[in-house]
Amino acid sequence: MWGGMYLEAGKNLSSSRPIKVLLAKPAIDGHDRGIFVLARALRDAGMDVIYAGLLPTPEEVVDIAVSEDVDVIGLSLLNGAHMSAFSKVVDLLKEKGINDIAVVGGGIIPDDDKPLLEKIGVTGNFGPGTPLNVITEHIRKRGEEARRMKEM
Amino acid sequence: MDTDSIVKGILSRDTRSISRAISIIEEGNSRGYDIVRSIYRKTGHSHIIGITGPPGVGKSTMIGMLSRMLAKQGKKVAIIAVDASSPFSGGAILGNRIRMQNVLSEYGIFMRSVSSRGSNGGLSLATWDIAKVLDAAGNDFIIIETVGAGQSDIDIVYLADTVIVTLAPGLGDSIQAIKSGMMEIGDIFVINKIDRDGSYIAMKDILDNVYKRDEWLPAVVGTDSLTGEGYDKLLEAISSHQAYNERYGKKKIVRYREEVRMALMHEMEIHVDRIMNSMIASEDMNLSYDEDSDPETTAKKLLPIAFKSIVQDETG
Repeated sequence: MWGGMYLEAGKNLSSSRPIKVLLAKPAIDGHDRGIFVLARALRDAGMDVIYAGLLPTPEEVVDIAVSEDVDVIGLSLLNGAHMSAFSKVVDLLKEKGINDIAVVGGGIIPDDDKPLLEKIGVTGNFGPGTPLNVITEHIRKRGEEARRMKEM
Repeated sequence: MDTDSIVKGILSRDTRSISRAISIIEEGNSRGYDIVRSIYRKTGHSHIIGITGPPGVGKSTMIGMLSRMLAKQGKKVAIIAVDASSPFSGGAILGNRIRMQNVLSEYGIFMRSVSSRGSNGGLSLATWDIAKVLDAAGNDFIIIETVGAGQSDIDIVYLADTVIVTLAPGLGDSIQAIKSGMMEIGDIFVINKIDRDGSYIAMKDILDNVYKRDEWLPAVVGTDSLTGEGYDKLLEAISSHQAYNERYGKKKIVRYREEVRMALMHEMEIHVDRIMNSMIASEDMNLSYDEDSDPETTAKKLLPIAFKSIVQDETG
């Protein structure tokens, strides 16, 4: 029992890097209350979270994701630009030959758009009212997949 | 990405290689050690600037302005920003980047957010090796922002060539409070937000409290990070401290010794974990609660056994 606790404490300090997530709103959209709530939920779930700030371009989002070597990019838009903005991010990742960063979406996304986003690899696409643990668990799952790709 | 191509990538300033190398170093396993060993001979050229100070004085915004000025002079700059991780979940919200993103995008400056991972001195253990990666990548300046917890953020004094302590007017009593810790580590003191009320009192407070260490009298500069006011003086102070280091510099030795000490501590910690676990598992050691022997006495009794075990383990 004691030995177990001892190892646990040592482990928390050094080994195993937390899943790293970049949260971004890659278009003209200033509604950031939701993404702040999500940032806190992800932190409480033990992840490292970076918020890209207001009004980053898709190019900036991808540059930040590369510099920070994140596992997941979480994109959120409430203004209806998700189809063009999310796919721009996906295209830029593809252009750079990056296949080890997962893209997860959320915001005000009509049901008809969800399969189209899934098709280009943007999963989740959570709307208002989704329980936070559903989002954090999905991000963790995608993050772990991305981490396995990185280790290959 | 394999280690060889990462090393090659670092030396040719490839962002993805640098970025991946930092992640591997943060994982703290032998691959990180392999990378650092392979690039070590290419390090030692960067001027490391450490920025510390209490939360909210404008460290991140200052780094944005400072790196813009340096980039404009044609210098290659890279930034490491350390933020606190939660002691409960281990997670972190790394928020320094948004204060400087415009500058980073405009000048293509590499910046990496790092979580402190339970370290208390204002840096994470990995920060030291991350600095080596950015050094080997050929940066003229590496700017490191500490957590910003105030008095205890003093690890930076060993890592940085120039330590900038950032303060702001209106901190009142907290300026008094940090006098003991921070007043001793600054090579340059910056009163940021100089446009605010009370900035001259804050300047005077600091001027009254700086004193010569070796041959260097810390510079005191007032800045406004939105307009850029005072930044010419800050750059001047940085380059004269750089010149001072070159003349009298002991920073390289100080840093090297601290790094050897930390590496030694790390090795010891691994041994202690191993020895503790084997003692707990062993029947005849029977390391359990002892009402007659206080923990320190027990540890002292175990010391010779521990040393013997370390020697055996290291010599095979």
